[in-house]
Parts: sequence; C-alpha cells; structure tokens
Amino acid sequence: MNTVVPGSEQPDPDDAPVEGIVLRMLLGTQLRRLRETAGVSPERAGTEIRGTRSKISRMETGRVGFKARDVDDLLTLYGVTDEQLRSRFLSLAKQANRPDWWTRYGDILPDWFETYLGLESAATTIRSFEIQFVHGLFQTEDYARGVTMLGHRAAPAEEIEQRVAVRLKRQDLLTRPTAPRIWSVMDEAVLRRPVGGAAVMREQLRHLAEVAALPHVTIQVVPFARGGHAAASGSFTILRFAEHDLPDLVYIEQLTSAVYLEQRADVEHYLEVADQLGGSALTPAASTLFIEQVIKET
Amino acid sequence: MTQPDPTGWAARQKGMAMNSDEAPGGREPSADGGDESRVRPLPFDTSRAHQARFYDYLLGGKDNYEADRAAVEAQLEIYPDLIFTARANRAFLGRAVRYLAADAGIRQFLDIGTGIPTAGNTHEVAQAVAPESQIVYVDYDPIVLAHARALLRSNDVGATKYIDADLRDTGTVLRLAGQLLDFTKPVAITLLSILHAIPDSDDPYAIVATLLAAVPSGSYLAISHVGPEFVSPETRDALLDTARRTSLQQYTPRTREQVARFFEGTDLVPPGLVPVEEWRPEPDTDTAGKSSFWCAVGRKR
Repeated sequence: MNTVVPGSEQPDPDDAPVEGIVLRMLLGTQLRRLRETAGVSPERAGTEIRGTRSKISRMETGRVGFKARDVDDLLTLYGVTDEQLRSRFLSLAKQANRPDWWTRYGDILPDWFETYLGLESAATTIRSFEIQFVHGLFQTEDYARGVTMLGHRAAPAEEIEQRVAVRLKRQDLLTRPTAPRIWSVMDEAVLRRPVGGAAVMREQLRHLAEVAALPHVTIQVVPFARGGHAAASGSFTILRFAEHDLPDLVYIEQLTSAVYLEQRADVEHYLEVADQLGGSALTPAASTLFIEQVIKET
Repeated sequence: MTQPDPTGWAARQKGMAMNSDEAPGGREPSADGGDESRVRPLPFDTSRAHQARFYDYLLGGKDNYEADRAAVEAQLEIYPDLIFTARANRAFLGRAVRYLAADAGIRQFLDIGTGIPTAGNTHEVAQAVAPESQIVYVDYDPIVLAHARALLRSNDVGATKYIDADLRDTGTVLRLAGQLLDFTKPVAITLLSILHAIPDSDDPYAIVATLLAAVPSGSYLAISHVGPEFVSPETRDALLDTARRTSLQQYTPRTREQVARFFEGTDLVPPGLVPVEEWRPEPDTDTAGKSSFWCAVGRKR
C-alpha cells in the first residue's frame, strides 16, 4: 500500500509531473526485472545512481520521474549493452516525464488528485463503486458544482468554477476515440441524494441514463432492496491498463488524501468485491429503468 | 413466471434494442430478470482455481486470482502447449461463429459456457457478419455473471441475453433462452471447452441430445473438447492430478470417437472432427502449435 498524503513529504527534485505515470510504472517494472535478472540488490543499484534503496524502489514503482543519467547508469550496471534497447529506454523515460492538461490547475488540485487524473486518462478500463455521489465522469455541470460547494463552502466563486471546470474537462475521455471502458456500479443512495436540489438531480439522473446508453459505458444500480452489499467500506475505483505487465490499481479517495492499493492481495480483494457487486446489482437494462423510475420520484 | 411462448417472445423482442435479461413482463425496475437462481450454485470462491478464470489467465486476461494463476502455472509445467490450446480454442470460436453466421446463415446463437468476456465474443463476431444476430449466453460462474451481464452488450439491431444457469439444467437453459430465441428457426448451439467439465455420471450425451431436440432441422452444434490422445498417458494423469489438487472443477478428456458421439443426428461440416487449429484455418490462423482439443461443427438433419 502506498499512501499519498499531500504536504507530508519533502519536495523531491525527482518528483515528476504526473502525466506518463503508467509509462513510468511500466519502465520501472522493466528496470526491476533487469535488475533482478542481473542479480543486483536494490542497495547496490541505489549506490550506483548516487541514491538509496528507497530511490530505486520509488523508480521501480513509477513514483518518480527518470533522469536520463540514472537510467543510463542502471542499464550499464544491469549489463544491457544493446544500443537500440538502451536508446528506447531513454526515449521512453523522456516521454514519461511529459506534463498534461491538468497541470494548469495545479494550484487548486491536490497532488493526489493530479496523479489520479493521469492514471484515469491512461486506463483502458475504469471500474467504480459509488455509495454517495455520481461518478465524476458522469456529473453534470450543476451537479458537479453542488458537490464542489459541499467540500469548499468558503472558497471564492472563481475557485469553485475552476474546480467544476476540471471535473468537466475530465469527461473528455468519455468521447475521445480511444475511450476507456467504464463500468460503474452505484448504490441506490447515489440516485436518491439530491445534491444541488431536486431540479439539478433530475437533470443529473437524465444525464446518467443517457451515458448508460454509450456502448463503452455500463451503469448498474444496487437497490436498497438488495440489503447489505459486499463493499461495506465505501466507494472505490479500480483502474486497469492495457499493458500486460501493469497490475490493476485501486484508488480510494479520502477527505484530505487518497490511497492507492497496488499489492496484488489488496487489489484482488477489491476485484472480488467489485465482481460480487456487479453480480448483485441490477442488470444494465434494469438499472436504466430503475433510474427512470427514480427520476419520476425526484 | 409464466411458461414462455418462444414464438411470441421472439416476436415481441424483434425490433427492440434489447440488451437485457428482463424476466417476462420485466419492465419494472424491481423485476430484475436474469437473476434466475441456478440449481447448483457455484460458490464465489477464489481460493481454488475456476475454469473461467483459469482460461482468462491463459488468454492474458487480468480477471483472475492467485489460485487460478497457480493452477495454470502448475499445468504449464507439465504441459506447455496449454497456452497454444487456449488460444487455438478461442480462435476456433471466432472461425466457427463466422462460418455459422456468414456461410450457414445462422442468426440465433446459444452460447453455453460463455466464460469471462474477452476480445471476439460470440455476439461481436456474429453481429459483425449479421447485425441482427441474437445471442443467448449461458454460464454458472458468479464472476462470469457479473462480467457477462455488464459487458456482453448487443448492438441496437440485434440482441443479447445472459442466463445464469448450469448446463446440466437443460430445462432452465431452454426455457429462458426461449424468451429471446425463436426455436422454430435454426439455432447454433455452441459448447466450447465445457462438456469436458461434465462427468459421465451427469450424462453429457443426454444433455446435448436434449438441447439438439429443442431446435429445428438446419440448426447447428459446435463443440470443442479435451482429448486424451494428444498427450502421453503419464502427462494426462499428471494434469488430471494437478487439477484435482488445484481446481474447483474437474474435467474428463474424451477420445475422438467419444466426442463424435455428441454429433449423432447431425452431418459434420468439412473438415469434420479435427484438432481446433485445423478446423477451416484462415490465413492468419496459428497452426504452428499442437493443441489438445478436438472440435467439430455439425448440422442437424
């Protein structure tokens, strides 16, 4: 488990902009494999690049950017002599450090959310379970404003609008040519809680029914009538990436930070819960009918 | 639930953009069809390997658990061609369904033993040829239930339906399938990599015969099945022993002759009963390896 708490870490010159985090995870995985094949300990590798065991560990898990010089030295240490392979590694490392759109909002976004946006836009499958709010990718502008106001009552109007803008900009990935598959299971409470008022909620519910019809979007509702469910603890998101080497990531948002779970045992527990929730939820077609019913009652 | 009138149901479904597992009359949100209780519930158990997840891992998927991967690795130690076999079986599904839709003109499919959705699912292959194709999927694994209901979605012209049932309960399978499929018109029944999970004590021949009896002449049956002939007796025993130790389901290899018996009452489409990679290979079919699955497609007389 890797807990990211904003402000709790010293600024690290190695901390890269978030875009390319998946690329970094991939490169890191490959570097770890090369290191293990070469029989080099993390300590020894750390020393080679004027760092520590923990620096190697951070690189290998994609938490930090790659300096060309470090990658170059590590490849040498691991006995990689193929020039083509070396230059491919180096050019990937460069790409992995590239910034993206949300860096513009850096002043209002906590680091952990920036990281999430990078991961979300790189995922090929996004599975989520929501117990409270409509998933950010499906929120209407007014609903998003309602949610934002809840968390930032004292914030100036301009900041609220900026935050809403980020939420909406995020939704670009729904319509891009290589849109990820989004499979969102939600508790009935999400549909019943009128964030922003009844009118805003009705519009939001109508929007939800519309996105549910997109071929790459699946929305399922777990009605109250189904009793308790497997996700007793709360909302979570599972991101899956195309690369075979990359494990799924579980993302859990908290009030002031976010938690990423990447250990297989943790991730598998959430996958299992997600599978159980998917199985106990209404079918996608019945969920749309359910949402339409709630619209009438809202 | 009333006994469905297959023709009437098919007529009602026609023209509707159905992607539902609605029960009859299930236009009410509360009537969430598709949750038909199965006769032999398979536990939601990830501590032992399950065939669908085992297969998912073999095909490079990520919807599998530690026990599934351990079981696959243990089998691969003994029989490395298992990966080729899984891929070749999946490729056979694509070619068989394409043949059935394009050459045999079939528009209704009953796919039993769906597995975890991956690329090239039956409805995608069939609807690529004939968009109006209707596909009923059947599986009894709770993980498949979750994924298949959510992801095996039809285009707007055709239809898909998912049934949570055990193949051995042919009555439930046929009754629910009849809510979408018109059994007065030809149906292709696909039983890929599933019959070997049915031991002789559950009479798989009677199961297949019951299914075939429900569909008219001109319908098709497609089967792929583990054969014992492809490996040495020692390898076969070691594989069976590994499955006993690691897996929820056991399997029964059947010889070419035993697999042929499933096709009684049908005429086999050329080239007949062959290893999966040899069935009507296409230019991009990987025939470099050797699988351990027999397969055939037969047309009901």
